[in-house]
Amino acid sequence: MIIDQNKIDETIKIIKANGGHGIQKCVQCGACSAVCPGVKAGFPLLCRALIKDLLNGLLEENIENSSSWGCQACNRCTEVCPQGVRPQEVVFAFRRYQANELAFSTSSVTSQMNLYETGHAVFTDPKEARRKVGLPEETPTSAFNEAAQQEIRTLMDNSPMGELGLF
Amino acid sequence: MEQIGLYLGCNIPLKSPDIEQSFRKIFPVLGVQPVDLEGAGCCPAWGTAPSFDLNTWCAISSRNITIAEEKNVDIMTGCNSCFGVLSEAKHFLETPATRAAVNGSLAKINREYKGTSDIYHVAHVLHNQIGLTKIRENLKYKLDGLKIAVQTGCHTLWPSDVYKVKEDNPYYPTILKELCEVTGATVCHYSRLEGCCGMGGMRSTDAEKSLKLFKEKLLSIKEETDADLIVTTCSSCFMQFDMSQPILKERGDIDFEPIPTFYYTQLLALAMGFEPQQVACISQIDRNPIIAEIQSDARRIKEGV
Repeated sequence: MIIDQNKIDETIKIIKANGGHGIQKCVQCGACSAVCPGVKAGFPLLCRALIKDLLNGLLEENIENSSSWGCQACNRCTEVCPQGVRPQEVVFAFRRYQANELAFSTSSVTSQMNLYETGHAVFTDPKEARRKVGLPEETPTSAFNEAAQQEIRTLMDNSPMGELGLF
Repeated sequence: MEQIGLYLGCNIPLKSPDIEQSFRKIFPVLGVQPVDLEGAGCCPAWGTAPSFDLNTWCAISSRNITIAEEKNVDIMTGCNSCFGVLSEAKHFLETPATRAAVNGSLAKINREYKGTSDIYHVAHVLHNQIGLTKIRENLKYKLDGLKIAVQTGCHTLWPSDVYKVKEDNPYYPTILKELCEVTGATVCHYSRLEGCCGMGGMRSTDAEKSLKLFKEKLLSIKEETDADLIVTTCSSCFMQFDMSQPILKERGDIDFEPIPTFYYTQLLALAMGFEPQQVACISQIDRNPIIAEIQSDARRIKEGV
């Protein structure tokens, strides 16, 4: 493999800008991968393996790899990392890089639209189920509160997410 | 009576309102009054804003937190993901630059994050604030002889440095175990106790990988405990156990009947004598036989004995 220092510098800059501040502390010990449910389930590019690629400047090369979306954000890795890398934050920084390049599954768009429209990422009409258990049909949440929905829309419209044309 | 902000999230009020009803029934009896956080929305879920932009995540989370701040109450979540997302946002908001940027966004909706409300999980309020003794005093049925396997779920355990309440050892959690044992039931250890159930982003990204992880955990429970029921304090884990056991059974991947699964406060509400039709009536797996067993006359605790 040819190591290109410019690519490494650029990759580290992007990962840090997206919240993966600890990436350069990694010594590739693999403690994170040993406890990662995603690695255990068979996702090939998480924790140690992902950080290795990123530290070698391989960013665009992995943009279509869906492993990062299998991360449960469980933070077992953060708990055991002896270097304070906080590997989950690096995985999510890479995921944010992918997301802002629109490299993610189309099924994920529904959640963004739901959040924008109802304030809930998961939305199903709850009225019948709520009546059945003896609760008011409408939740006290944003789902039935237009002012609350408008606040959430304002926050999303004025964020980098608002520029992606998802909602 | 002490008040606490009841942060509902998405799945509990919209898909499992029987879990919400169980909160509303048990907490006042135990001396804590849940207060609605009107207009609170999604935490936001890991697959939404946290996957796009850190400050947008913190802005949406802190909007929810400011609703509790205005009422001068702490927050109690029933969903582990909400607990994790809100707790981590609060941790990021300790960084002055992040807080300033987020408050800049919140100013557009006339809100300001102050950091005065803490984030707790339902299990923390029950275990640490109300306490096991008070729970025991309010039981109407004793669950002696029933075998429970517990599933704490990931997002109350790690990363422990951002959580207000920590387990002594997050790889060997005991809060839910003790909450179950107070009912008289036996909580059996199994080797995959801290294992992930496979719900969440993994399930929507690759359902087969998720089911593989889930099956390994389920077999560990079945073979090592032969539990009568599974009890969890995570609404996502609840959905995975309730939805995916029948799938594995249908496929012939398991040769035993799905094990009935409850969110902890459903079990407690049943043991406190509340109506199953209100607190434990929405599930894929038939829970009626075990509910009838829990609320059987033989288990009723005699007054004054």
